[in-house]
Amino acid sequence: MTAAVTASPTIARADLVSTRSPGRRRGRAGLPGYVFVAPGFLAYGLVVLWPALQALVMSFQQYKLRKGLASPFIGWANYARAIQDPVVLRSFANSAFYVLVTVPPQLIIGLVLAILLDKAMPARTFFRVLFYLPVITSWVVVSLLFKWLFATDDGVFNWILTSIGLVSHNVDWLGQRWTAMLAVSLLGIWKGVGWSMLILLASLAGVSEDLHEAAAIDGAGTWRRFLYVTLPHIRGTVVTITILLVMGGLNVFPSILLMTGGGPADATQVPLTYIYKQAFTFLDFGYGAALSYLLAFFVVVISLLQYGAAKLVERRSE
Amino acid sequence: MKTWLKALAPAVGLVLSLSACGAAGTAMGTSASQAPSAAISGSVTFWHAYSADSPELSTLEKVLIPKFESLHPGVTVKSVPVPYDSLHQKLVTAAAGEQLPDLVRSDIIWVPELANLDVIEPLDTTLPDFADLKAKVFPGPLATNKWKDHYYGLPLDTNTRVLMYNADALKKLGVTQPPATFDELKALSAKTAGTGVFAYAEGGTGGWSVLPWIWSGGGSVTDDAVTTATGHINGADTVAVVQMLADMLKQKGISDIILGGQGGTKTSDGLPKGQFATILDGPWMFPIMKSQYPNFDLKTAPIPAGKAGSISVVGGEDIVLTKDSKNKAAAAEFLRFLLSEDSQMEMAKTGQMPVLSSITADKLNAIQPYYGTFVEQLKTAQPRTPSPAWPKIDEVISKQVLTAIKGEATPQAAMDAAATQINALIAQYK
Repeated sequence: MTAAVTASPTIARADLVSTRSPGRRRGRAGLPGYVFVAPGFLAYGLVVLWPALQALVMSFQQYKLRKGLASPFIGWANYARAIQDPVVLRSFANSAFYVLVTVPPQLIIGLVLAILLDKAMPARTFFRVLFYLPVITSWVVVSLLFKWLFATDDGVFNWILTSIGLVSHNVDWLGQRWTAMLAVSLLGIWKGVGWSMLILLASLAGVSEDLHEAAAIDGAGTWRRFLYVTLPHIRGTVVTITILLVMGGLNVFPSILLMTGGGPADATQVPLTYIYKQAFTFLDFGYGAALSYLLAFFVVVISLLQYGAAKLVERRSE
Repeated sequence: MKTWLKALAPAVGLVLSLSACGAAGTAMGTSASQAPSAAISGSVTFWHAYSADSPELSTLEKVLIPKFESLHPGVTVKSVPVPYDSLHQKLVTAAAGEQLPDLVRSDIIWVPELANLDVIEPLDTTLPDFADLKAKVFPGPLATNKWKDHYYGLPLDTNTRVLMYNADALKKLGVTQPPATFDELKALSAKTAGTGVFAYAEGGTGGWSVLPWIWSGGGSVTDDAVTTATGHINGADTVAVVQMLADMLKQKGISDIILGGQGGTKTSDGLPKGQFATILDGPWMFPIMKSQYPNFDLKTAPIPAGKAGSISVVGGEDIVLTKDSKNKAAAAEFLRFLLSEDSQMEMAKTGQMPVLSSITADKLNAIQPYYGTFVEQLKTAQPRTPSPAWPKIDEVISKQVLTAIKGEATPQAAMDAAATQINALIAQYK
């Protein structure tokens, strides 16, 4: 029976593919197809690709803001400067910390919530909305909210910690590198859990009840069913979520900007806040562009590594 | 299968011609403005950071602009308020896109930067009556408009920081008068243990924060001609001031919000609540206190004097005319109007300190009694280094003073490092 059940999706997929041959499909799309996708591609080219190429050129220039002024090409100087800039290294370390602290909890808590809210229970929709609410609230609002929660003298966190006697005096959360990064990370987890939950819920909805039933008849307990039925089914989703969360984590921006401003003395800079500062405070657009490309390179490499690792695990388990 | 390319062609052409328009638009624009009496028309756009929902904004939009428009039928002035924190970025973006408005009320520290970007007019050559306008304003605020050999703007309003104190908090520290000298401040700092009151609080270590102390103590950032920082930012007097701040911090005589953490109690809250006995701040604090802490009696005194006297930092705004302006004649006329005694007196009622020497301390005191201390302090106040490199110099000062007062380096070593870094920055704009 198990075999029959697993076979059916394969058949369905084969049906889909076989209805149209590749050659005919291409012929049918033809001119109208291209015309329909043209606006999208044009918009993408205009607002994403073109600026990105401009930034690439800019990253090799000592960029002069005013049009008409020549921006001299200075080769790899902006990149060389980036490698020697201690704040750049620190900003990457800070975003790595943010990723390590925020991604696993978002995945695990998101999965636990998704499993709980996948089951029939009273007020299920209400709870789903409740956990998803932080995702759709404005970053600005919740960043300012967390800034107040972590305020040194009148903050709620310090009030709780001193009330239960965990610390003897108020902690300067946002004034020190790691405590500030932790505060920002807690915000990231709180705000991101709902998103992982929602995607995982959708994925869980696709797990066939028949499979669970069959496994139960074969004598598998809840844990084993989770391990051998649920998990294999949602593995692709988990991989995708992880890659997206890591990308998002490396690009953390508004919470840092609003809660610490990258300070004190650049202690909590992350790549995006530092790029923003170079470009708009110091007008060093060439340097900012070079940093953007370093970040993009770093993100692509990390994502490819993750993707490769996931493929490897998949192949081994097959 | 190449037909789709043909379908795309018109769209691509459209995009290309759009970008061409953007480039061609620059050639337009009027030449230098005419004499004040010439007939003017059209619209003038004015960007500024007057606070939303404030008396200053309503005075501009409901009193001054209508008055100007009735004096000059055919001219309309568009007031565009931009929050202060986003104005710099907006100016930078607009400068790159050649979309600057006709007039900008710019923070005084941005004028050399905008001049160096070549986006604003040198008013001493653009305005035929510049000499008259120049003669009407205070020399201190005027100096903030000079970059290299030209004046790129005129002062619009001025201010400075003075000592603000909480009399009850001082009483807790056993004194009845605010500290008038560095020695009195040090003595006050030594008395804070166990009182729950800090003698002084400051929200950071940048130039705006620490320069009043450095200057009053006899120190400086660079020489007057801005050629070197050596012997100035790392001179004995500057180092002594940094040492004083470090000592008071160690003693817990000043609040650790000076270390720049974002979670600490702000000076504007700690002072009225009695946590801070003294702070340094500007005239805008009076309306803020009136609405936030109506029962608090905000009092002012001169900055405590060091060996060089009591020297504060000049703040305020300049008005600049952009090169992108398409209506320079009308824009220049509105600029003149804002610098008239009537307009300046009108804005003075809202907390904007006038820049005209004809408006004496008596006239000001009749409007707001609290202006007295500021007028007095402005007599010796100094501008921050007038250089496009100032934002970076400011960053160096902020970081090195912080390093020193945290005890991560000796004040001398930290300020030596600052001198080296500032010299490198100055060299870029020679």
